[in-house]
Amino acid sequence: MTTPEPAAPEALLPEDHERRLHPGSWLFVLLQNLRQFIVPLLVLLFAGGRRDDGYPWWLPLIGVGALVVVSVWQYLTFRYRIDDDRLIVRSGLFERSVRQIPYSRIHNVAIHQNLLHQLMGVAEVRLESAGGTKPEAQMRVLRMREALALEQLIRDRGQGQAAVPTADGAAAATEPAGITLLALSSWEIVKLGLISNRGMVVVAGAVALSFQALPERAMGRWLVDYGREAFGYASGYATTWLAKGVAIAGVLAFALLLIRAFSVLLALLRYHGFRLQRQGRRLTVERGLLSRSRSSVPRRRIQAWTMREGVLHRLFARRTLEIDTASARTGDGQGNANAQRGLDALAPIASPATCDAIVHDIALLRSWPPARWEPLHPRAWLRLMLGDVFVTAGLCAALAWFFQWWGALGLLWLPWSMFVARRHADRAGYAVDTAFVAVREGWWKRTWRFAEIGKLQAVELRQSPLDRRFGMASVWFDTAGANPLSTPLRLRFLPLAEAERVHATLAGEIARRPLRW
Amino acid sequence: MTGRDFDPTPPPLPETAPPAPQVETDVWQPLPVRARTLATISALVGTLIPLAIALGVGLIAADRQSLSFAIAGALLLVIPGWAVFIARRRWLRTRWRIDDDGFGVRRGHLWRSDTRVPGNRVQHLDVRRGPLERAFGLATLVVHTAGTRNSALALSGLDFEEAERLRDTLAARAARDDDHDDA
Repeated sequence: MTTPEPAAPEALLPEDHERRLHPGSWLFVLLQNLRQFIVPLLVLLFAGGRRDDGYPWWLPLIGVGALVVVSVWQYLTFRYRIDDDRLIVRSGLFERSVRQIPYSRIHNVAIHQNLLHQLMGVAEVRLESAGGTKPEAQMRVLRMREALALEQLIRDRGQGQAAVPTADGAAAATEPAGITLLALSSWEIVKLGLISNRGMVVVAGAVALSFQALPERAMGRWLVDYGREAFGYASGYATTWLAKGVAIAGVLAFALLLIRAFSVLLALLRYHGFRLQRQGRRLTVERGLLSRSRSSVPRRRIQAWTMREGVLHRLFARRTLEIDTASARTGDGQGNANAQRGLDALAPIASPATCDAIVHDIALLRSWPPARWEPLHPRAWLRLMLGDVFVTAGLCAALAWFFQWWGALGLLWLPWSMFVARRHADRAGYAVDTAFVAVREGWWKRTWRFAEIGKLQAVELRQSPLDRRFGMASVWFDTAGANPLSTPLRLRFLPLAEAERVHATLAGEIARRPLRW
Repeated sequence: MTGRDFDPTPPPLPETAPPAPQVETDVWQPLPVRARTLATISALVGTLIPLAIALGVGLIAADRQSLSFAIAGALLLVIPGWAVFIARRRWLRTRWRIDDDGFGVRRGHLWRSDTRVPGNRVQHLDVRRGPLERAFGLATLVVHTAGTRNSALALSGLDFEEAERLRDTLAARAARDDDHDDA
């Protein structure tokens, strides 16, 4: 995707007639379809197909043939037309559908290229609008130059002032060339791999899969056998407890190392050549080693921001900056959501100053980072600690049941928990500005979450019985496109008067700002 | 209670009923008394039937002594009574309000919440009625926003006509703001 962008998209994508996809596109549709059937097909070919069953070996090929026909047919029936202010897509085998997509409604343009795509110089394009689980249109596949031209066309025409037909097409490139906000070197990506723990997921997934997929519990047997053998070696050589301990620690260290190595490898695959660019009001992110992807989002579609900093982040003096967009989140609905997730991390890894600079530049939040973080309720730490106190009490009771007085040692956890709670409460804070609402939390793992006031959807004031005893309340904000698993945008443990003030002010403030998303 | 409470009980209700076609603004309004009746009935039915079945099975299975009958009878009194108490308190604590900024709902006694949906954030509105609600002339108003967690704010037990008026008012506002936006 290092291809320079064409100056005049109109030249490549004339408007007057309907267009088809790339002639080779049926091949990719076929591969996509085959992927869903590959497991049953393989099972039929190898596992199920004992010769004496009377299955002819070519039976699966009929299925493949049918899929080829379907794919070619899909290619033949898919047409798209580029209109002044909208894209018109006609598709369907039996159920014909005509879909009109105004450029101004497209939130995200995602271009995806895997190895085969790159060999043939083509790319897959997905156009996403707000909400829903499926993209508005999926073009599998376009020539790479056409894909980039389409992206630029949507960028130019989707800016609100619909359709700017300039007199001479070549001069349409009024947009300044993109400003690169962040480009990651390989070393940075290695750091990212070390910080992230995706390798864990892969190892766990591989183990689970091998247990499931390999026949006759081969994996389980293998594990037990080799485990026993290894243990035998260990007990043969290492007779003392110390030696055994060292051996176990060694194995653990090796496993951890392996997982980190996997993480680095995954990070390299996913983020190689990461580049964040801003062209006018649109952001573009390119990344990927084997399969390149490029997604492009208008700046104003960003709903909320998250900045994270874990312990390892701090070690490298780095942070992660992520955004929520309101476009469809579940990939293409065919299981490869991971590979094709839209634009989520604006800066997978960057120094704090760079993160702030990106926020400055993109969010147009002049006052970021806030000069002053308002503190929580003075006794917030006590409130934070209470949960721990109950858990510790329960655990101590259980320990005391088994170990008599030794169980009371569990109470030693309390000073530590108090320390953590105090640190957390000292560091946590919130800031409400005329432009944004921000909250920061955490001490070990720090998070910042903020959103422009114009992007908030609803405000809620909450008070639990415990909150009431302390004279606190919390204010929750709702934004579009938030990941249900991530930290919500909420101000916890505020003094009640403060919370009521924030709640009332913001409810009025939001009502005065029209929804633009 | 050491801290200050945020008290969901609104100022006293106005004496004169508002003129029918207008939705009164800037006042925290209670739900109609019929909603309390419905809440009581559904709490009773919802607890009595499962409880009766469970206790019946238990009594048939266990030995039929006077003590177990006494316990069963006590349970039959206490649990539905408690459920009715909670339901009626919830009814009492639920208030709604519409003002220039938008729509607000307060609810809860122990766990309190005060949700505000600004008028220009309303995406679409539903008025729903189940058979029971129809019998009592009540309705549920659902206000949808583009948000994630609070994307649907549902208020049940509204007077049917009031719910329709509320829906129309909010919809008119959303449409007005939309025009501003797209212009």
